Amino acid sequence: MPPDEKRPLPLLHRPPILIGAALIGGVKTGRGLLRTFFRTIGLALSGERERGEVAKKMYDIGNRSLFFIAVTLGFIAMVSVFQVCLQLNRVTGDLSKVGLELIKLMVHETAPTLTAMMLATRVGAGIAAEIGSMVVTEQVDALRMSGVDPVRYLLVPRFLASLVMMPVMAIFAFAVALVTGTAMAHYGFGVNPTIFVDFSAVTYGDVIIGMSKCVAFGAAIPVVSGFCGLTTHGGSEGVGAATTRAVINTSLAVLIIDFIFTVLGFMIFPPTAAAL
Amino acid sequence: MSAFVSRIGASVLSTTREVGGVGLLFLQILRALFPWPSMDSRELWRSLYRMGVQSVPIIMMTAFFTGAILVVQSGIFVRRFGAQGLLGWATGYSTFREIGPILIALMFSGRVGSNNTAELGTMTITEQIDGLRALAIDPIRYLIVPRVVAMMVMLFLLTVMGDIVAVAGGALLGKVVVGVDYPVFWQSLFDNLTEWDLLHGLIKSAIFGLVIALTSCYFGVSARGGAVGVGRAVNASVVASAVGIMVVDCIMTLTLK
Repeated sequence: MPPDEKRPLPLLHRPPILIGAALIGGVKTGRGLLRTFFRTIGLALSGERERGEVAKKMYDIGNRSLFFIAVTLGFIAMVSVFQVCLQLNRVTGDLSKVGLELIKLMVHETAPTLTAMMLATRVGAGIAAEIGSMVVTEQVDALRMSGVDPVRYLLVPRFLASLVMMPVMAIFAFAVALVTGTAMAHYGFGVNPTIFVDFSAVTYGDVIIGMSKCVAFGAAIPVVSGFCGLTTHGGSEGVGAATTRAVINTSLAVLIIDFIFTVLGFMIFPPTAAAL
Repeated sequence: MSAFVSRIGASVLSTTREVGGVGLLFLQILRALFPWPSMDSRELWRSLYRMGVQSVPIIMMTAFFTGAILVVQSGIFVRRFGAQGLLGWATGYSTFREIGPILIALMFSGRVGSNNTAELGTMTITEQIDGLRALAIDPIRYLIVPRVVAMMVMLFLLTVMGDIVAVAGGALLGKVVVGVDYPVFWQSLFDNLTEWDLLHGLIKSAIFGLVIALTSCYFGVSARGGAVGVGRAVNASVVASAVGIMVVDCIMTLTLK
């Protein structure tokens, strides 16, 4: 008998029902997401585009986020350098290798991942809010009625723009982090900038891993948040719910992709006892 | 040229307005908390449940992946220097002090902060807040203070749980991927870390909770313009929370040591 107010779900039946509901919902969402992803890639490869749309979206994703990325990554770099130098001073007192190792770590891990998390927050919320309010004000239905595919019109420009802009923002973030980290090491701990800025430990494997992570993040963020935007329902409350879902799901996607690529990178480019 | 200068001026003005608005909200909340806290207790319990208990799965997942990624990244150094005995210490140190509080706060802001802004924003544009005022109910004491208190308390507790899960996940992946045995991992963690490292991170997470609560409530209550306005408010609130977390983290790291 279906439960209602007078007869709530029996306590013993609750766990399987809840788990089952979560699984079924997850499978449905996953299927919709994968379908959207493959359609976006297919439509992007087919080549038909609005004039200037991709450039406009690249401006939205890249130029408008410059200050945000600079501030967040600058501060994170300062704090990381501070913590590492503080701890090393406690243990050994030799700060000459800090710049070397931190730069290597930044290339293949922190710059792509942190930039992607920050952009997932900003861009993901923006895309979902924009598309969500279009769904709620029935503009997407109007698009469908005019014979325009919403995925092609809305998602593909953002997809291409994000693919290009994510590596660019990661490189920019790396530059900002390098500057602020060097400044913190110099003014806080007296490390000579010429010793700190040392690129000799960075290998081709690091660059390949970092760049491929950027591309993967750039592909994932607009698709996941666009999907959350397109599946909005329920008025202005729904727009808020969709934006929340988009931020959570894109952040989770970034973390999971980062985990996969890190483990893959560890296995494909095993760290050798490099000559120091 | 003058357009460029006026754009800089406009953005400085809007940032100042937002920072000022958040500050004024903070003062109003303080007035409701001292000398004796007066808030709606049912809202408080409801907020504690929704923000804390319902965020547990996602925070635990985030924490697990954070610990895992940290360990695999440090594994590179461990293999290079043969420093098995340092993995536990490095993981514990960075998780407790920095990465744990920051990533859990960012995830919390993404989930709870944006949800809060969306709810308050919808209430604002459907004029429910004005309705509350018309019934002589103070929206600050009724709506905002319970949420702020709930977010601070819950982020603190979630960071405690998240730290444990992150370090456990790190231990697991340390054994599987890097090949460091569990006793070595835990011993190096407990030998080299002090309670202050853990407390340093937890104090930060309480302040992050305050920052997230203030920004999300401010942007929710100042939403204008229908469904589109709600979306824009959520976007602005998430961005402002992230910037606020980073800036506060920098200040607190440098002052707390």
